[in-house]
Amino acid sequence: MKKYLSILSMQIINSLAYPGDFVGRSVSIATFIFIFAGLWGTTYTLAGTDTINGLTVHNMIWYFMMAETLELGRPRINRTISEQVKNGEVAYILNKPYNFILYHFSAGLGDGIVRMSLNLIVGSAVAWILAGAPPALMGWLMALVTMIGAWILHFCFMALIGLAAFVVEETNSFELIYQKFVFILGGFLIPLDMFPAWLQKIAYALPFPYMMYAPARLFVKPDMDLFWQMLTGQIIWVVVFVALLSFVYQRSERFLTINGG
Amino acid sequence: MRHIKLLLALWQANIQAAMEFRAAFFTQVIFMMINNGVYFIFWVLYFDKFNEVRGWDIHSMMLLFGVTAAAWGIGAFFFGNFITLADVIVQGRLDYYLSLPRPVLLHTLASKSIGSGMGDILYGIGSFVFSGYLTPDGILRFIVGVLAGVCIFIGFLVIVQSLSFWLGNTAALSQFALSAILTFSLYPSALFDATTKFILLTILPAALIGTIPTEFVRAFSWQSLLQMASGALAFLLLSILIFRLGLKRYESGSAIQVEV
Repeated sequence: MKKYLSILSMQIINSLAYPGDFVGRSVSIATFIFIFAGLWGTTYTLAGTDTINGLTVHNMIWYFMMAETLELGRPRINRTISEQVKNGEVAYILNKPYNFILYHFSAGLGDGIVRMSLNLIVGSAVAWILAGAPPALMGWLMALVTMIGAWILHFCFMALIGLAAFVVEETNSFELIYQKFVFILGGFLIPLDMFPAWLQKIAYALPFPYMMYAPARLFVKPDMDLFWQMLTGQIIWVVVFVALLSFVYQRSERFLTINGG
Repeated sequence: MRHIKLLLALWQANIQAAMEFRAAFFTQVIFMMINNGVYFIFWVLYFDKFNEVRGWDIHSMMLLFGVTAAAWGIGAFFFGNFITLADVIVQGRLDYYLSLPRPVLLHTLASKSIGSGMGDILYGIGSFVFSGYLTPDGILRFIVGVLAGVCIFIGFLVIVQSLSFWLGNTAALSQFALSAILTFSLYPSALFDATTKFILLTILPAALIGTIPTEFVRAFSWQSLLQMASGALAFLLLSILIFRLGLKRYESGSAIQVEV
């Protein structure tokens, strides 16, 4: 456990090493929230109503703040894994005294903590200016708890896509498809509350809402029933995907061919 | 003429390289088309709920997606390094291009082809065909709009990534600039207020890639044509200027052998 904490802290220090990148990230989330606020502000004005499907403009802007914090804060671990598989670097990592998958989990989490913290600070400032005061404390707590499950699920997907490099050369396409499913069925671009009922049912049966919608929706409208529903869904999907990742990783090692040293 | 010959030779080499791994290439193409289709579902859901917003409906959005996807696809397929220029600069891989008697920026950009770009091109054309704006003069306007979009995409991203000459590692900044320009070119600027529209026409020229060309395809106007042409020219010239200024600061540990 200690070695993984060391990897995590090492990655945090690495992530803080480039102040230029740091500023770039802040500008990005500010821009995204600003534009989304424009889109939904106009939509609500034209619709001539304060509430659409239970959500106000205030809810929508803070929802997107949280969704953007998550999306922009997630490092693309799949690309690192995929590159290491393709260029053979994986061979040097596998003989180290740590688990390959847990190594990437720790490193990715270290990077993610820095990114998400920064996104949260800058995003909150922008959302506060555009929409007013942030949601209640309960919303922050529920979001924080469900972010853990959301992060683990996201990592499992990224790692599975990265490991696909053992059998297919190009894995970026899988990442794009995965990302779009999170964008739509995960509720990143449009909250599930805006979906027609039949599509909501489909979305809830898939893992994507538990990776994005859960923390963002609970953040703006904390609801105990929804919280338990989301947490249960996350636990079920985490068990499924951790088992799947473990299985795929064991199978992947058989595909490994090392030439020379 | 020499530059065109260089481009044709590079594109030929890139296509031959892609054909070496046909299965991977066609997989990328198909997956990119699916990717774009899934992303468009957002607008299907949006217009299912709001029908029409300030003159934009689902058909206009299909056209917008068509123009933007085709512009992005052409950039990615024929000038693939415009997405990864920052990496090329930071890793010292410009050494290879500097050692040859060819325009450094053009050579660098066209030396890489991203296979999925072909998927964007095909999706863009398909989306245009199904948008309901397929007429003989509409096709001409579509081509003009797409070409302007290609110039602005490339110009904007070259400018952002050339900051690597001064700032060092700007991979994250470049990545976010890329995703910002791509994302917001897929939104009609009619949805935004005057300030946001100004941003989308200037520092983040997404409206010049998506909205303006789309309006131009829907109905010819000199204003749209002028906006697209001046935007394309300004971003291309500015990108060349900034890249050349940055090149004077370029340092590396000699990576010629790596690139060869």
